[in-house]
Amino acid sequence: MGTQAEFDQMIKSGELIESTNEMTPDYLKELKHTLIVSGDTELISAPAYYLAAKRAPSINAFMTGIAIIQDELAHAHIAYHILEELGEDQEKLIFSRDPKSFRYPYAFDVPLDSWTELVVANGMYDQAGFCLLGDIHDKCSYGPWKRGLNKVMAEENFHLRNGRTWMKRISASGGSAKDELQRAVDWMFPLSVEWFGLPDSMKMHSTQLEYRLKGLTNDQLRQWWLSTVVPYCEQIGIKVPAHKEVRDGKDVWELDYPFPCDFDAEAKRWDFKHPSSWDDVLVRWRARGPRNIEMVAMFQEEFHKFRKTHHKNGAG
Amino acid sequence: MPVSLVDLGVIYGITEREGVVEVDLTFTAMGCPASEFILDDVRERLLREVGVREVRVNVVWDPPWTVARMTEAGRDALESWGLAV
Repeated sequence: MGTQAEFDQMIKSGELIESTNEMTPDYLKELKHTLIVSGDTELISAPAYYLAAKRAPSINAFMTGIAIIQDELAHAHIAYHILEELGEDQEKLIFSRDPKSFRYPYAFDVPLDSWTELVVANGMYDQAGFCLLGDIHDKCSYGPWKRGLNKVMAEENFHLRNGRTWMKRISASGGSAKDELQRAVDWMFPLSVEWFGLPDSMKMHSTQLEYRLKGLTNDQLRQWWLSTVVPYCEQIGIKVPAHKEVRDGKDVWELDYPFPCDFDAEAKRWDFKHPSSWDDVLVRWRARGPRNIEMVAMFQEEFHKFRKTHHKNGAG
Repeated sequence: MPVSLVDLGVIYGITEREGVVEVDLTFTAMGCPASEFILDDVRERLLREVGVREVRVNVVWDPPWTVARMTEAGRDALESWGLAV
């Protein structure tokens, strides 16, 4: 490891860190934590999307859905591969962790039950991923990750396009299809808004910002997301509970509901009449949602079954 | 995508008669997950041209696409994104 002074100078001057020799133990810890959140998020999106992609309305749509899942697995692999280079055991991280200890946004724990919900996820969750990763791609002080994200960003664009094209098409078809789309947006929009975490007013210090692992605050990222999703939904005739205001000559996106508020995951329904506290939200996040165990089991169970058979055959 | 369909070498032919444009195109793979987007883009872009009132796109698989069909500009674009061609 380099000296604290050398490290501080690199962070301050905007230089990229290329190896563990140049890191402090605390930077390494923060970098790993950030990578685990990124890897877990990409990985869990695969079973979440797969369970809905099975309901694709055509072979072509199914191919697109499956291609997106393949991308997500590859993006997860980039993060876990870097973690391995930083001394973690990739196999243990993916296959031997308790489902509850995976660090991905709560939104993925709420089942996507239809093609409509999948394409809203592509339009909203992938947009959240695009903002978070775009910021890391732009600002990250760790060179290998920054470069790996070049291709990730290009591929995320394709997911967004799938989401947006289908949302527009479903909205234009009107009737019950449009109603279903609106219902999906109604529960998925606020879940995406909370994706970016605590508001800046409650989070005074960010080690990730200090180390340039990311460049934008939670609220800045949330505003970026709102500035893309709200106008698009309005343009295609879908209602969202947020609007734009101009303050000091700048666009500011305001939510039209108490943030945070109560969410019933089983019913997929927000109760805008019942504001909650961030402590309540953190309790809900830590308890994980309805599909957490099922999704993690989807890749862990088969791995361990295969392992057992493989060893038996090897021994015989 | 950082590369145009022409530079990618998937446009096999284009003709126009009395405002009807006919395009022969292929995909780099039969399982191309972006095929619908590409067809939509081709139609939408050609319809923006003055005098074009109809676009017919034929998807063809013969001859099959290979990297040899890419232009120099196409290769450069993909290489800049980390793809070896």
